[in-house]
Amino acid sequence: MLPLSHYIVLAAILFGVGALGVMVRRNTIVVFMCIEIMLNAVNLTFVTFSKLHGNLEGQIGVFFVMVVAAAEAAVGLAIIISVFRSILSVETTDSGELKL
Amino acid sequence: MEEIIWYIIAGLTLASALGVLIMKKPLYSAFCLVLHLFMIAALFALLDAHFLATAQIIVYAGAIMVLVVFVIMLLSLDGAEKKPSYFLGGLSLVAIFALFKMLLPALRDTFSVSGTNLQGDVKSIGLLLYTKYIYSFEVASILIMVAIVGAVILAKRTKKNVTT
Repeated sequence: MLPLSHYIVLAAILFGVGALGVMVRRNTIVVFMCIEIMLNAVNLTFVTFSKLHGNLEGQIGVFFVMVVAAAEAAVGLAIIISVFRSILSVETTDSGELKL
Repeated sequence: MEEIIWYIIAGLTLASALGVLIMKKPLYSAFCLVLHLFMIAALFALLDAHFLATAQIIVYAGAIMVLVVFVIMLLSLDGAEKKPSYFLGGLSLVAIFALFKMLLPALRDTFSVSGTNLQGDVKSIGLLLYTKYIYSFEVASILIMVAIVGAVILAKRTKKNVTT
């Protein structure tokens, strides 16, 4: 049985990679996928702590995170399509209509 | 033996997450993300969360990624994007490294214990979900309902939307 610190360190690094992707990339769909990476890193810590404490409620939390992620995917991609229709681009720098 | 398997899976998880970042075309990023989600499911299975490993594959690698690939194909985003923002990237890289320098040794020392023999099988999770968390479960179903209606309304082509 591996020590659980392995999982927690891996999840922290994955969260960092996802956050870096949100900062660096300009394609809205890739930014969206990096948010999914961050959500999955948090899910991994949830399951690890659930294992650590011998308590199933962390896994229930992961279940609800998955539900919210599915809802977020549906609405987020609809917004991306809607924005693409009006400005014909998905780059984050191209949609600066509200910028002063 | 378990250690070798763990390092292979962890390496693939990290490599595919980095692949999402550095791939030029969004479709290749999506394929890397599919591999990443499968590897996360494998890590869940190693932690004895069998139900979540299955749900991860069905919901994430199945449903959500089909939606993402569908949108990428629909918008035909095969061209490379403009220059990524290296300034912001360097800045956040420095911040992330500074955070990890402090965080990782503390995490490694604090949680270097092996876990309990908790089994996250379908029966125990279902029992908990339908007794103690029944209200949250119903609220989640309403949220999915709202998301479906919202997605249809947002993506629907109205007269006002058609500018080109």
